[in-house]
Amino acid sequence: MQYAHFLHKDRPLSDVPVSVKISLWLALILQLLWHSFQEPVVATADELAPPLSTRTYVMSSLGEPIAVSKFLNLWLQAFDNQPGASISFHQLDYPRLTQWLDTILELDPEGHYPMLVAARVYGSVHNREKQKIMMDYIFYKFNEDPNRYWRWLAHAVITAKHELKDNELALKYAHALAESATGPNVPYWAKDMKIIVLEDMGEVEAAKILVGALIESGEISDPYELNFLARKIAILEEKMIEKRQSVEK
Amino acid sequence: MRSQILTISRFTIIESLRNRLLLLAILVIGISFAMVEFIGDLAITEHRVTQAAILAAFLRMSAVVMVTLFVVSSTVRELHDKTLEMILAMPIRRGNYYLGKLLGYLYIAALIAVIFSALLLLYADAEQVAIWMVSLFFELVLVVALSLVMLFTFNQVPSALTAVFIIYGASRIVTSIFLMAKYPIIAHTSIAQQFMDSFIELLTWLLPDLHRFTQTEWLTYNTADWATLLPLLGQTIIYLVFLSFIALFDFYRKNF
Repeated sequence: MQYAHFLHKDRPLSDVPVSVKISLWLALILQLLWHSFQEPVVATADELAPPLSTRTYVMSSLGEPIAVSKFLNLWLQAFDNQPGASISFHQLDYPRLTQWLDTILELDPEGHYPMLVAARVYGSVHNREKQKIMMDYIFYKFNEDPNRYWRWLAHAVITAKHELKDNELALKYAHALAESATGPNVPYWAKDMKIIVLEDMGEVEAAKILVGALIESGEISDPYELNFLARKIAILEEKMIEKRQSVEK
Repeated sequence: MRSQILTISRFTIIESLRNRLLLLAILVIGISFAMVEFIGDLAITEHRVTQAAILAAFLRMSAVVMVTLFVVSSTVRELHDKTLEMILAMPIRRGNYYLGKLLGYLYIAALIAVIFSALLLLYADAEQVAIWMVSLFFELVLVVALSLVMLFTFNQVPSALTAVFIIYGASRIVTSIFLMAKYPIIAHTSIAQQFMDSFIELLTWLLPDLHRFTQTEWLTYNTADWATLLPLLGQTIIYLVFLSFIALFDFYRKNF
Protein backbone atom coordinates (compact mmCIF):
# COMPACT_ATOMS: atom_id res chain seq x y z
CA MET A 1 0.00 0.00 0.00
CA GLN A 2 2.85 2.32 0.81
CA TYR A 3 3.86 2.23 -2.88
CA ALA A 4 0.35 3.08 -4.10
CA HIS A 5 1.22 6.72 -4.52
CA PHE A 6 3.65 5.78 -7.30
CA LEU A 7 0.72 4.54 -9.36
CA HIS A 8 -1.08 7.84 -9.04
CA LYS A 9 1.88 10.17 -8.84
CA ASP A 10 0.81 12.04 -12.01
CA ARG A 11 -1.94 14.58 -11.96
CA PRO A 12 -5.14 13.74 -13.98
CA LEU A 13 -5.23 14.39 -17.73
CA SER A 14 -7.87 17.05 -17.20
CA ASP A 15 -5.19 19.19 -15.54
CA VAL A 16 -3.38 19.57 -18.87
CA PRO A 17 -4.46 22.81 -20.57
CA VAL A 18 -6.58 22.31 -23.69
CA SER A 19 -4.17 24.46 -25.72
CA VAL A 20 -1.33 22.06 -24.89
CA LYS A 21 -3.38 19.02 -25.90
CA ILE A 22 -4.42 20.62 -29.19
CA SER A 23 -0.86 21.75 -29.92
CA LEU A 24 0.41 18.26 -29.25
CA TRP A 25 -2.01 16.75 -31.77
CA LEU A 26 -1.24 19.50 -34.28
CA ALA A 27 2.50 18.89 -33.90
CA LEU A 28 1.98 15.16 -34.48
CA ILE A 29 -0.13 15.83 -37.61
CA LEU A 30 2.49 18.29 -38.82
CA GLN A 31 5.22 15.69 -38.42
CA LEU A 32 3.16 13.10 -40.35
CA LEU A 33 2.45 15.63 -43.11
CA TRP A 34 6.11 16.60 -43.27
CA HIS A 35 7.08 12.98 -43.69
CA SER A 36 4.45 12.41 -46.41
CA PHE A 37 5.96 15.25 -48.49
CA GLN A 38 9.46 13.85 -48.33
CA GLU A 39 10.86 12.01 -51.34
CA PRO A 40 10.64 8.24 -50.86
CA VAL A 41 13.89 6.60 -49.85
CA VAL A 42 15.31 4.46 -52.64
CA ALA A 43 18.03 1.94 -51.99
CA THR A 44 21.09 2.78 -54.07
CA ALA A 45 24.36 0.97 -54.01
CA ASP A 46 27.28 3.20 -53.11
CA GLU A 47 30.54 2.97 -54.95
CA LEU A 48 33.61 1.96 -53.02
CA ALA A 49 35.27 5.21 -51.93
CA PRO A 50 39.06 5.44 -51.82
CA PRO A 51 40.53 4.59 -48.40
CA LEU A 52 41.84 7.31 -46.11
CA SER A 53 45.44 7.29 -44.94
CA THR A 54 46.40 4.71 -42.33
CA ARG A 55 47.25 7.51 -39.88
CA THR A 56 43.66 8.75 -40.11
CA TYR A 57 42.36 5.31 -39.19
CA VAL A 58 44.84 5.00 -36.33
CA MET A 59 43.82 8.36 -34.92
CA SER A 60 40.09 7.93 -35.39
CA SER A 61 40.28 4.63 -33.51
CA LEU A 62 42.27 6.29 -30.70
CA GLY A 63 45.40 4.31 -31.48
CA GLU A 64 43.88 0.87 -32.17
CA PRO A 65 45.31 -0.03 -35.62
CA ILE A 66 44.74 -3.78 -35.27
CA ALA A 67 41.14 -3.44 -34.11
CA VAL A 68 40.37 -0.98 -36.90
CA SER A 69 42.01 -3.23 -39.49
CA LYS A 70 39.87 -6.17 -38.36
CA PHE A 71 36.79 -3.98 -38.48
CA LEU A 72 37.68 -2.75 -41.99
CA ASN A 73 38.15 -6.37 -43.09
CA LEU A 74 34.58 -7.15 -42.15
CA TRP A 75 33.23 -3.89 -43.56
CA LEU A 76 34.96 -4.42 -46.91
CA GLN A 77 33.91 -8.04 -47.04
CA ALA A 78 30.27 -7.00 -46.51
CA PHE A 79 30.43 -4.07 -48.94
CA ASP A 80 28.56 -6.06 -51.60
CA ASN A 81 25.59 -6.20 -49.23
CA GLN A 82 24.41 -2.65 -48.67
CA PRO A 83 21.12 -1.59 -47.04
CA GLY A 84 18.36 -2.48 -49.50
CA ALA A 85 20.76 -3.13 -52.39
CA SER A 86 23.07 -5.94 -53.24
CA ILE A 87 25.93 -5.66 -55.70
CA SER A 88 28.07 -8.46 -57.02
CA PHE A 89 31.84 -8.57 -56.72
CA HIS A 90 31.94 -7.99 -60.52
CA GLN A 91 30.64 -4.49 -59.98
CA LEU A 92 33.35 -3.55 -57.52
CA ASP A 93 36.17 -1.27 -58.58
CA TYR A 94 39.05 -3.73 -58.32
CA PRO A 95 41.99 -1.30 -58.45
CA ARG A 96 40.34 0.60 -55.59
CA LEU A 97 39.72 -2.67 -53.78
CA THR A 98 43.46 -3.35 -53.82
CA GLN A 99 44.03 0.08 -52.24
CA TRP A 100 41.73 -0.95 -49.41
CA LEU A 101 43.49 -4.29 -48.97
CA ASP A 102 46.81 -2.45 -48.87
CA THR A 103 45.55 -0.02 -46.22
CA ILE A 104 44.26 -2.89 -44.08
CA LEU A 105 47.58 -4.71 -44.37
CA GLU A 106 49.43 -1.55 -43.45
CA LEU A 107 47.31 -1.23 -40.32
CA ASP A 108 47.98 -4.83 -39.32
CA PRO A 109 51.08 -6.18 -41.11
CA GLU A 110 50.85 -9.50 -39.25
CA GLY A 111 47.36 -10.27 -40.54
CA HIS A 112 46.66 -12.44 -43.59
CA TYR A 113 42.97 -11.66 -43.91
CA PRO A 114 43.32 -9.23 -46.88
CA MET A 115 45.49 -11.75 -48.73
CA LEU A 116 42.94 -14.50 -48.19
CA VAL A 117 40.06 -12.41 -49.53
CA ALA A 118 42.24 -11.30 -52.46
CA ALA A 119 43.01 -14.92 -53.34
CA ARG A 120 39.80 -16.72 -52.52
CA VAL A 121 36.99 -14.15 -52.52
CA TYR A 122 37.77 -11.37 -54.97
CA GLY A 123 40.14 -13.58 -56.95
CA SER A 124 37.44 -16.19 -57.56
CA VAL A 125 35.04 -14.08 -59.64
CA HIS A 126 34.38 -15.27 -63.20
CA ASN A 127 36.04 -12.29 -64.82
CA ARG A 128 39.53 -12.75 -66.19
CA GLU A 129 40.49 -9.09 -65.95
CA LYS A 130 39.44 -8.79 -62.33
CA GLN A 131 41.02 -12.10 -61.40
CA LYS A 132 44.25 -10.90 -62.99
CA ILE A 133 44.15 -7.66 -60.98
CA MET A 134 43.89 -9.69 -57.77
CA MET A 135 46.61 -12.14 -58.78
CA ASP A 136 48.89 -9.22 -59.69
CA TYR A 137 48.15 -7.66 -56.32
CA ILE A 138 49.14 -10.89 -54.58
CA PHE A 139 52.32 -11.00 -56.68
CA TYR A 140 53.09 -7.38 -55.74
CA LYS A 141 52.65 -8.12 -52.02
CA PHE A 142 54.68 -11.32 -52.37
CA ASN A 143 57.58 -9.33 -53.78
CA GLU A 144 57.48 -7.10 -50.68
CA ASP A 145 57.87 -10.05 -48.31
CA PRO A 146 58.20 -13.42 -50.08
CA ASN A 147 58.58 -15.55 -46.97
CA ARG A 148 55.43 -14.12 -45.41
CA TYR A 149 53.14 -14.22 -48.43
CA TRP A 150 54.40 -17.32 -50.31
CA ARG A 151 51.24 -19.35 -49.74
CA TRP A 152 49.06 -16.73 -51.40
CA LEU A 153 51.30 -16.72 -54.44
CA ALA A 154 51.09 -20.51 -54.49
CA HIS A 155 47.32 -20.04 -54.64
CA ALA A 156 47.80 -17.52 -57.47
CA VAL A 157 49.83 -20.12 -59.43
CA ILE A 158 46.89 -22.54 -59.22
CA THR A 159 44.37 -19.82 -60.17
CA ALA A 160 46.51 -18.72 -63.13
CA LYS A 161 46.97 -22.29 -64.31
CA HIS A 162 43.49 -23.76 -63.82
CA GLU A 163 41.09 -20.80 -63.87
CA LEU A 164 42.81 -18.25 -66.07
CA LYS A 165 44.42 -21.03 -68.17
CA ASP A 166 47.41 -18.74 -68.49
CA ASN A 167 50.46 -20.99 -68.22
CA GLU A 168 52.89 -18.13 -68.85
CA LEU A 169 51.48 -16.23 -65.86
CA ALA A 170 51.49 -19.38 -63.72
CA LEU A 171 55.12 -19.96 -64.66
CA LYS A 172 56.03 -16.37 -63.78
CA TYR A 173 54.50 -16.77 -60.31
CA ALA A 174 55.94 -20.26 -59.79
CA HIS A 175 59.38 -19.00 -60.84
CA ALA A 176 59.14 -16.14 -58.30
CA LEU A 177 58.12 -18.65 -55.63
CA ALA A 178 61.11 -20.86 -56.36
CA GLU A 179 63.55 -17.96 -56.52
CA SER A 180 62.41 -15.62 -53.73
CA ALA A 181 60.62 -17.69 -51.10
CA THR A 182 63.72 -19.16 -49.50
CA GLY A 183 62.76 -19.06 -45.82
CA PRO A 184 62.77 -22.20 -43.69
CA ASN A 185 59.00 -21.96 -43.29
CA VAL A 186 58.43 -22.36 -47.04
CA PRO A 187 57.73 -26.02 -47.87
CA TYR A 188 59.35 -27.68 -50.85
CA TRP A 189 56.04 -28.30 -52.59
CA ALA A 190 55.73 -24.53 -53.05
CA LYS A 191 59.15 -24.38 -54.68
CA ASP A 192 58.32 -27.48 -56.73
CA MET A 193 55.36 -25.75 -58.35
CA LYS A 194 57.60 -24.48 -61.13
CA ILE A 195 58.41 -28.08 -62.13
CA ILE A 196 54.73 -28.97 -62.34
CA VAL A 197 53.87 -25.88 -64.41
CA LEU A 198 56.78 -26.53 -66.77
CA GLU A 199 55.70 -30.16 -67.13
CA ASP A 200 52.13 -29.09 -67.92
CA MET A 201 53.42 -26.62 -70.47
CA GLY A 202 55.22 -29.48 -72.23
CA GLU A 203 58.63 -28.16 -71.19
CA VAL A 204 59.61 -31.60 -69.96
CA GLU A 205 63.32 -31.15 -70.47
CA ALA A 206 63.43 -27.87 -68.58
CA ALA A 207 61.45 -29.44 -65.76
CA LYS A 208 63.89 -32.34 -65.60
CA ILE A 209 66.88 -30.01 -65.44
CA LEU A 210 65.19 -28.08 -62.65
CA VAL A 211 64.51 -31.23 -60.62
CA GLY A 212 68.09 -32.35 -61.07
CA ALA A 213 69.38 -28.96 -59.98
CA LEU A 214 67.15 -29.03 -56.91
CA ILE A 215 68.50 -32.42 -55.84
CA GLU A 216 72.10 -31.44 -56.50
CA SER A 217 71.80 -28.17 -54.61
CA GLY A 218 71.67 -30.15 -51.37
CA GLU A 219 68.97 -27.85 -50.02
CA ILE A 220 66.54 -30.72 -49.76
CA SER A 221 67.15 -33.06 -46.88
CA ASP A 222 63.71 -34.54 -46.39
CA PRO A 223 63.83 -38.19 -47.66
CA TYR A 224 60.18 -38.09 -48.80
CA GLU A 225 60.85 -34.95 -50.80
CA LEU A 226 63.97 -36.48 -52.36
CA ASN A 227 62.00 -39.62 -53.19
CA PHE A 228 59.26 -37.50 -54.77
CA LEU A 229 61.80 -35.64 -56.91
CA ALA A 230 63.57 -38.86 -57.96
CA ARG A 231 60.21 -40.30 -59.05
CA LYS A 232 59.49 -37.08 -60.85
CA ILE A 233 62.73 -37.41 -62.82
CA ALA A 234 61.74 -40.93 -63.82
CA ILE A 235 58.29 -39.76 -64.98
CA LEU A 236 59.80 -36.84 -66.86
CA GLU A 237 62.33 -39.14 -68.57
CA GLU A 238 59.48 -41.44 -69.61
CA LYS A 239 57.62 -38.49 -71.05
CA MET A 240 60.72 -37.35 -72.92
CA ILE A 241 61.16 -40.80 -74.47
CA GLU A 242 57.47 -40.88 -75.46
CA LYS A 243 57.82 -37.44 -76.97
CA ARG A 244 60.89 -38.43 -78.98
CA GLN A 245 59.23 -41.64 -80.21
CA SER A 246 56.14 -39.73 -81.36
CA VAL A 247 58.38 -37.26 -83.26
CA GLU A 248 60.34 -40.11 -84.94
CA LYS A 249 57.10 -41.78 -86.04
CA MET B 1 45.04 9.14 9.51
CA ARG B 2 45.13 5.72 7.89
CA SER B 3 41.73 4.83 9.28
CA GLN B 4 40.26 8.05 7.86
CA ILE B 5 41.57 7.24 4.38
CA LEU B 6 40.34 3.66 4.58
CA THR B 7 36.89 4.72 5.81
CA ILE B 8 36.45 7.18 2.94
CA SER B 9 37.62 4.61 0.42
CA ARG B 10 35.27 1.97 1.93
CA PHE B 11 32.29 4.27 1.52
CA THR B 12 33.32 5.08 -2.05
CA ILE B 13 33.30 1.35 -2.81
CA ILE B 14 29.93 0.90 -1.09
CA GLU B 15 28.54 3.75 -3.18
CA SER B 16 29.75 2.12 -6.38
CA LEU B 17 28.04 -1.13 -5.41
CA ARG B 18 24.81 0.70 -4.61
CA ASN B 19 25.05 2.50 -7.94
CA ARG B 20 24.94 -0.96 -9.54
CA LEU B 21 28.25 -0.27 -11.28
CA LEU B 22 29.20 -3.94 -11.21
CA LEU B 23 25.84 -4.89 -12.68
CA LEU B 24 26.50 -2.41 -15.47
CA ALA B 25 29.96 -3.94 -16.01
CA ILE B 26 28.39 -7.40 -16.30
CA LEU B 27 25.79 -6.00 -18.73
CA VAL B 28 28.60 -4.57 -20.87
CA ILE B 29 30.26 -8.00 -20.80
CA GLY B 30 27.01 -9.62 -21.98
CA ILE B 31 26.59 -7.13 -24.84
CA SER B 32 30.26 -7.49 -25.82
CA PHE B 33 29.97 -11.27 -25.85
CA ALA B 34 26.93 -11.18 -28.14
CA MET B 35 28.61 -8.62 -30.43
CA VAL B 36 31.88 -10.51 -30.67
CA GLU B 37 30.19 -13.84 -31.36
CA PHE B 38 28.31 -12.18 -34.21
CA ILE B 39 31.60 -10.77 -35.51
CA GLY B 40 33.10 -14.26 -35.30
CA ASP B 41 30.37 -15.50 -37.64
CA LEU B 42 31.18 -12.80 -40.18
CA ALA B 43 34.93 -13.37 -40.36
CA ILE B 44 36.04 -15.93 -42.93
CA THR B 45 39.55 -16.34 -41.57
CA GLU B 46 41.57 -15.27 -38.49
CA HIS B 47 38.26 -15.22 -36.68
CA ARG B 48 39.73 -15.60 -33.16
CA VAL B 49 42.18 -12.76 -33.86
CA THR B 50 39.39 -10.60 -35.27
CA GLN B 51 37.20 -11.30 -32.26
CA ALA B 52 40.00 -10.59 -29.77
CA ALA B 53 41.04 -7.35 -31.50
CA ILE B 54 37.56 -5.83 -31.73
CA LEU B 55 36.55 -7.03 -28.27
CA ALA B 56 39.71 -5.67 -26.64
CA ALA B 57 39.29 -2.23 -28.23
CA PHE B 58 35.62 -2.13 -27.25
CA LEU B 59 36.26 -3.22 -23.65
CA ARG B 60 39.12 -0.78 -23.24
CA MET B 61 36.95 2.15 -24.32
CA SER B 62 33.98 0.93 -22.28
CA ALA B 63 36.14 0.65 -19.15
CA VAL B 64 37.49 4.17 -19.61
CA VAL B 65 34.02 5.64 -20.20
CA MET B 66 32.46 3.75 -17.26
CA VAL B 67 35.17 4.69 -14.78
CA THR B 68 35.19 8.35 -15.87
CA LEU B 69 31.41 8.64 -15.65
CA PHE B 70 31.35 7.03 -12.23
CA VAL B 71 34.18 9.09 -10.74
CA VAL B 72 32.87 12.39 -12.09
CA SER B 73 29.19 11.82 -11.26
CA SER B 74 29.85 10.43 -7.80
CA THR B 75 32.23 13.23 -6.78
CA VAL B 76 29.98 15.92 -8.25
CA ARG B 77 27.06 14.55 -6.26
CA GLU B 78 29.16 14.83 -3.10
CA LEU B 79 30.01 18.43 -3.97
CA HIS B 80 26.41 19.40 -4.73
CA ASP B 81 24.79 17.50 -1.83
CA LYS B 82 27.16 19.27 0.54
CA THR B 83 28.42 15.89 1.77
CA LEU B 84 31.94 17.08 1.11
CA GLU B 85 31.41 20.15 3.27
CA MET B 86 30.11 17.94 6.06
CA ILE B 87 33.16 15.67 5.81
CA LEU B 88 35.57 18.60 5.75
CA ALA B 89 33.87 20.09 8.84
CA MET B 90 35.22 17.07 10.72
CA PRO B 91 38.84 16.86 11.87
CA ILE B 92 40.03 15.46 8.54
CA ARG B 93 42.71 16.78 6.23
CA ARG B 94 41.85 17.51 2.64
CA GLY B 95 44.77 15.35 1.51
CA ASN B 96 43.34 12.37 3.41
CA TYR B 97 39.94 12.88 1.83
CA TYR B 98 41.55 12.93 -1.62
CA LEU B 99 43.61 9.80 -0.90
CA GLY B 100 40.55 8.00 0.45
CA LYS B 101 38.52 8.78 -2.65
CA LEU B 102 41.43 7.86 -4.92
CA LEU B 103 41.94 4.54 -3.16
CA GLY B 104 38.23 3.68 -3.42
CA TYR B 105 38.12 4.53 -7.11
CA LEU B 106 41.30 2.54 -7.78
CA TYR B 107 39.69 -0.50 -6.18
CA ILE B 108 36.71 -0.08 -8.52
CA ALA B 109 39.06 0.38 -11.49
CA ALA B 110 40.80 -2.88 -10.57
CA LEU B 111 37.46 -4.67 -10.30
CA ILE B 112 36.36 -3.45 -13.73
CA ALA B 113 39.72 -4.42 -15.25
CA VAL B 114 39.36 -7.96 -13.84
CA ILE B 115 35.72 -8.36 -14.96
CA PHE B 116 36.39 -7.09 -18.48
CA SER B 117 39.53 -9.17 -18.91
CA ALA B 118 37.72 -12.34 -17.86
CA LEU B 119 35.75 -12.30 -21.12
CA LEU B 120 38.94 -11.99 -23.16
CA LEU B 121 40.10 -15.34 -21.76
CA LEU B 122 37.70 -16.96 -24.22
CA TYR B 123 39.51 -15.46 -27.19
CA ALA B 124 43.18 -14.95 -26.26
CA ASP B 125 46.10 -16.54 -24.43
CA ALA B 126 45.71 -16.38 -20.62
CA GLU B 127 49.14 -14.86 -19.92
CA GLN B 128 48.62 -12.14 -22.53
CA VAL B 129 45.20 -11.39 -21.07
CA ALA B 130 46.75 -11.06 -17.61
CA ILE B 131 49.34 -8.57 -18.93
CA TRP B 132 46.60 -6.70 -20.80
CA MET B 133 44.51 -6.60 -17.60
CA VAL B 134 47.31 -5.10 -15.50
CA SER B 135 47.96 -2.53 -18.22
CA LEU B 136 44.25 -1.67 -18.39
CA PHE B 137 44.32 -1.14 -14.64
CA PHE B 138 47.28 1.25 -14.99
CA GLU B 139 45.40 3.13 -17.69
CA LEU B 140 42.30 3.35 -15.48
CA VAL B 141 44.44 4.61 -12.59
CA LEU B 142 45.40 7.59 -14.75
CA VAL B 143 41.81 8.06 -15.90
CA VAL B 144 40.62 8.15 -12.26
CA ALA B 145 43.25 10.70 -11.29
CA LEU B 146 42.55 12.79 -14.39
CA SER B 147 38.79 12.74 -13.68
CA LEU B 148 39.39 14.01 -10.14
CA VAL B 149 41.65 16.81 -11.39
CA MET B 150 39.13 17.93 -14.00
CA LEU B 151 36.29 17.79 -11.53
CA PHE B 152 38.09 19.89 -8.92
CA THR B 153 38.96 22.35 -11.71
CA PHE B 154 35.59 22.67 -13.43
CA ASN B 155 33.07 21.58 -10.74
CA GLN B 156 30.56 20.70 -13.48
CA VAL B 157 29.84 17.32 -15.05
CA PRO B 158 29.74 18.33 -18.77
CA SER B 159 32.94 20.36 -18.70
CA ALA B 160 34.79 17.81 -16.55
CA LEU B 161 33.75 14.90 -18.79
CA THR B 162 34.61 16.79 -21.98
CA ALA B 163 38.04 17.72 -20.60
CA VAL B 164 38.77 14.13 -19.48
CA PHE B 165 37.81 12.65 -22.85
CA ILE B 166 39.78 15.26 -24.79
CA ILE B 167 42.93 14.75 -22.70
CA TYR B 168 42.54 10.98 -22.77
CA GLY B 169 42.03 10.99 -26.57
CA ALA B 170 44.97 13.35 -27.04
CA SER B 171 47.20 11.11 -24.90
CA ARG B 172 46.29 8.15 -27.08
CA ILE B 173 47.00 9.82 -30.44
CA VAL B 174 49.51 12.55 -29.67
CA THR B 175 52.42 10.40 -30.86
CA SER B 176 50.76 9.85 -34.25
CA ILE B 177 50.07 13.58 -34.57
CA PHE B 178 53.66 14.33 -33.59
CA LEU B 179 55.01 11.95 -36.25
CA MET B 180 52.73 13.50 -38.88
CA ALA B 181 53.94 16.96 -37.93
CA LYS B 182 57.59 15.91 -37.86
CA TYR B 183 57.55 14.10 -41.22
CA PRO B 184 55.07 16.05 -43.36
CA ILE B 185 54.33 15.07 -46.95
CA ILE B 186 54.95 18.67 -48.04
CA ALA B 187 57.61 20.54 -46.07
CA HIS B 188 56.50 23.88 -44.63
CA THR B 189 58.41 26.57 -42.85
CA SER B 190 55.78 29.18 -41.94
CA ILE B 191 55.91 30.59 -38.42
CA ALA B 192 52.36 29.39 -37.70
CA GLN B 193 53.29 25.86 -38.70
CA GLN B 194 56.49 25.93 -36.63
CA PHE B 195 54.47 27.14 -33.66
CA MET B 196 51.99 24.27 -34.12
CA ASP B 197 54.83 21.75 -34.43
CA SER B 198 56.41 23.03 -31.23
CA PHE B 199 53.05 22.97 -29.46
CA ILE B 200 52.47 19.35 -30.50
CA GLU B 201 55.96 18.44 -29.32
CA LEU B 202 55.23 20.14 -26.00
CA LEU B 203 52.08 18.01 -25.70
CA THR B 204 54.10 14.83 -26.19
CA TRP B 205 56.22 15.93 -23.22
CA LEU B 206 53.27 16.78 -21.00
CA LEU B 207 50.81 13.99 -21.77
CA PRO B 208 51.27 10.37 -20.66
CA ASP B 209 52.33 7.79 -23.27
CA LEU B 210 48.95 6.08 -23.37
CA HIS B 211 49.54 4.60 -26.82
CA ARG B 212 51.95 2.14 -25.21
CA PHE B 213 49.31 0.92 -22.74
CA THR B 214 46.88 -2.00 -23.16
CA GLN B 215 47.84 -2.89 -26.72
CA THR B 216 45.53 -5.09 -28.76
CA GLU B 217 48.59 -6.56 -30.48
CA TRP B 218 49.44 -8.42 -27.26
CA LEU B 219 46.21 -10.38 -27.45
CA THR B 220 46.21 -11.00 -31.18
CA TYR B 221 49.88 -11.89 -31.76
CA ASN B 222 51.09 -12.75 -28.23
CA THR B 223 53.82 -10.11 -28.32
CA ALA B 224 53.87 -9.02 -24.67
CA ASP B 225 55.86 -10.31 -21.73
CA TRP B 226 55.78 -9.20 -18.10
CA ALA B 227 58.72 -6.86 -18.65
CA THR B 228 56.48 -4.84 -21.02
CA LEU B 229 54.64 -3.64 -17.93
CA LEU B 230 57.67 -2.07 -16.26
CA PRO B 231 57.80 1.16 -18.31
CA LEU B 232 54.02 1.37 -18.06
CA LEU B 233 54.24 1.09 -14.27
CA GLY B 234 56.87 3.84 -14.23
CA GLN B 235 54.72 6.13 -16.36
CA THR B 236 51.64 5.38 -14.23
CA ILE B 237 53.36 6.19 -10.93
CA ILE B 238 54.93 9.40 -12.23
CA TYR B 239 51.76 10.67 -13.86
CA LEU B 240 49.58 9.62 -10.92
CA VAL B 241 51.77 11.64 -8.58
CA PHE B 242 51.71 14.58 -11.02
CA LEU B 243 47.90 14.52 -11.38
CA SER B 244 47.38 13.99 -7.65
CA PHE B 245 49.37 17.08 -6.78
CA ILE B 246 47.47 19.14 -9.38
CA ALA B 247 44.23 17.91 -7.80
CA LEU B 248 45.46 18.64 -4.25
CA PHE B 249 46.72 22.07 -5.29
CA ASP B 250 43.23 22.90 -6.56
CA PHE B 251 41.47 21.20 -3.67
CA TYR B 252 43.44 23.05 -0.97
CA ARG B 253 42.65 26.38 -2.62
CA LYS B 254 38.93 25.69 -2.89
CA ASN B 255 36.43 27.51 -0.68
CA PHE B 256 33.18 25.74 0.16
